[in-house]
Amino acid sequence: MASGSGDSAGGRGESTEVNSKWLDAHYDPMANIHTFSACLALADLHGDGEYKLVVGDLGPNGRQPRLKVLKGPSVLTESPLPALPSAAAAFLMEPHEPRTPALALASGPCVYVYKNLRPYFKFSLPPLPPNPLEQDLWNQAKEDRIDPLTLKEMLEGIREKAEVPLSSQSLRFLHLELGEMEAFVAQHKTQPIRRQTVITTMTILKKNLADEDAVSCLVLGTENRELLVLDPEAFTVLTKMNLPSVPVFLEASGQFDVEFWLTAACRDGNIYILRRDCKRPKYCIELSAQPVGLVRIHKTLVVGSTQDMLHSFTHKGKKLWTVPMPAPILTMSLLEQRSRGLQAVMAGLANGEMRIYRDKALLNIIRTPDAVTSLCFGRYGREDNTLIMTTRGGGLVIKILKRTAVFGEGAGEAGPPPAQALRLNVPRKTRLYVDQTLREREAGTAMHRAFQMDLYLLRLRAARAYVQALESSLNPVSATLREPLKLHAVVQGLGPTFKLTLHLQNTSAVRPAMGLLVSCLYNESLYALPRAFFKVPMLVPGLSYPLETFVECLSDKGISDVIKVLVLREGQSAPLLSAHINMPVSEGLVAA
Amino acid sequence: MGLLDKLSGLLGLKKKEIHVLCLGLDNSGKTTIINKLKPSNAQTQDIVPTIGFSIEKFKTSSLSFTVFDMSGQGRYRNLWEHYYKEGQAIIFVIDSSDRLRMVVAKEELDILLNHPDIKHRRIPILFFANKMDLRDAVTSVKVSQLLSLENIKDKPWHICASDAIKGEGLQEGVDWLQDQIQAVKT
Ligand SMILES: Nc1nc2c(ncn2[C@@H]2O[C@H](COP(=O)(O)OP(=O)(O)OP(=O)(O)O)[C@@H](O)[C@H]2O)c(=O)[nH]1
Ligand SMILES: [Mg+2]
Repeated sequence: MASGSGDSAGGRGESTEVNSKWLDAHYDPMANIHTFSACLALADLHGDGEYKLVVGDLGPNGRQPRLKVLKGPSVLTESPLPALPSAAAAFLMEPHEPRTPALALASGPCVYVYKNLRPYFKFSLPPLPPNPLEQDLWNQAKEDRIDPLTLKEMLEGIREKAEVPLSSQSLRFLHLELGEMEAFVAQHKTQPIRRQTVITTMTILKKNLADEDAVSCLVLGTENRELLVLDPEAFTVLTKMNLPSVPVFLEASGQFDVEFWLTAACRDGNIYILRRDCKRPKYCIELSAQPVGLVRIHKTLVVGSTQDMLHSFTHKGKKLWTVPMPAPILTMSLLEQRSRGLQAVMAGLANGEMRIYRDKALLNIIRTPDAVTSLCFGRYGREDNTLIMTTRGGGLVIKILKRTAVFGEGAGEAGPPPAQALRLNVPRKTRLYVDQTLREREAGTAMHRAFQMDLYLLRLRAARAYVQALESSLNPVSATLREPLKLHAVVQGLGPTFKLTLHLQNTSAVRPAMGLLVSCLYNESLYALPRAFFKVPMLVPGLSYPLETFVECLSDKGISDVIKVLVLREGQSAPLLSAHINMPVSEGLVAA
Repeated sequence: MGLLDKLSGLLGLKKKEIHVLCLGLDNSGKTTIINKLKPSNAQTQDIVPTIGFSIEKFKTSSLSFTVFDMSGQGRYRNLWEHYYKEGQAIIFVIDSSDRLRMVVAKEELDILLNHPDIKHRRIPILFFANKMDLRDAVTSVKVSQLLSLENIKDKPWHICASDAIKGEGLQEGVDWLQDQIQAVKT
């Protein structure tokens, strides 16, 4: 089943290939790029009009982190990183010419800044005060007043309870095997313990101009639940804000010196919105699941959640819409086509689809050979509308949006049906309507009770009638468990002679029915039956036995009556079941 | 053709006027090529990206070319089709080192070839696989493969590898173009 649907999806993708909106510029399944959207950035790093792609690469299995710069389809430069990258961004540091952007790469507790692809500055997060108890323990170890095993026990105690987390040195120590401890203590006991947090997310915020290429500040989110805004030239901390949880996705808008908003999607499943001059979040959006991506379009936010949903909110936290996805969302990014003023959200899904949405409307689906883990859209090389995707297996896909391509709403599959946009001709509110509504509002409970009571009475009467029918065996299906029978009668002919066929069926699974009798009750002045009482042969389960008899109508007045057919068991007076047959009017006699 | 015209044509006094469209993506080297084909005293030193289009003239031994040097930038590419009717020949320039945008060049070429003003005409097309001096450049054979030039059946076409900065390969292309035009006219 799964493979079947997969095939059909592939078929559909191929059939639309001809009139696709995208040109396939490059696909390398072995590009060996393993990253996520936050670690991709496009920038004219050399100021030659040829935009490069910056990749903070985690390396296969998250080992061997590297900074890669790609030009066209190939890697231009590559250098190892000391820790896993968490975000990459290009930003303008100063307003003077030449206006080539600098490159910032967040990795561990540091931001590495490059200019012209040469290392320029390394910013480190300020150290945090260590836990005094932990400090004390290491001081004791230094003076050899404590053996490694006790140290381990004490540190574990601190790890369990303490407010202030342990330093990385202690954490590494706790990981060690018994034999390695001694050497570790000997080596590290003289070093002061330092506690440092790491950068979880980074974005850029314009300093004081709204221009496209204005000088921008770096904004960092840390594991220590803080947001820091850095000065673009001096890299000093301009402002610091606190969050209730660890930020994982960050969006900034506005200008630092004028007015700005920071939106942070956090690990507690909440999105916090902060403004200039407030150290604490101003608005909070509670998601019912973890965020997996955050995109801002003007003043609306689009968030992807682990419940396979895209949610949209205003920048004040009011919910706008929700769209379900067919598979888990792996990554999200913004698509901005400047020439047509289009801004849309791209979402890479686990089923190998890349979906593009403008508001709720699905604009386009790109099917990729492998699930997409990172996405980036913008100017690359010399092409404005380039889409860069990397896949779970380390592949690189580059597509270019056709110059003639227009995203029409409804081009995709889902989206709101057109009928939703139709305005209904709602009648005006009459006096009666208003009175009724008021009455309903005031006496709602009583009305509901009255309705419920009537409903119960109705059910009761229905049940009673049913029981009565069962008790008097008035129905054509016998309900006794020992004798499950079904009777179905057919009258044929125009009259005065009719043929009455009774189809009798034993509905039990295995037991044959024996010793049954059929008797017909009728008005003897109206009808004559040659056989009004007969024995039924043995009924084999499942088969329908037709029992035929003739009925002669004696009246020529064009009247008809009911004939009652009873199925009885020998030696019992109560019928097993009965049927009332409404005889038709004898037309033969009337005509004669 | 009058005897006098023929005579003046032979003497090179009055040459036949030919309108040529120079097309291709931005930064492919169109303006650089046209500039190199002009007499050396008329060449400019600094070449900037073309805005809209510019009209340039140069002469060969028997023809006088008027070239519409179109801008290749995306936002100006929809201007191209307004000049298709007047064009008697097309020079299509490709940056052989821009591997990523080869698909875009192909897309623009396909749009051009399917345009009603071009589709049913036997208009000669000269391709320059330009910037062959660059390290990333692919061969002219590879370029013609990537653009599926073998599918052009109803128009004479020719591809030359070129280096517009040194002027290499340009003369070969222009000679071919001149032969094609004269083959049609006589
Ligand atoms: N290395 C090399 N550079 C070239 C060659 N031809 C052109 N260029 C360079 O490519 C750049 C763009 O050349 P242009 O002639 O302006 O390109 P164009 O096709 O006219 O571009 P638009 O006017 O924007 O459509 C310039 O910097 C040229 O110096 C070549 O054969 N080799
Ligand atoms: Mg030009």
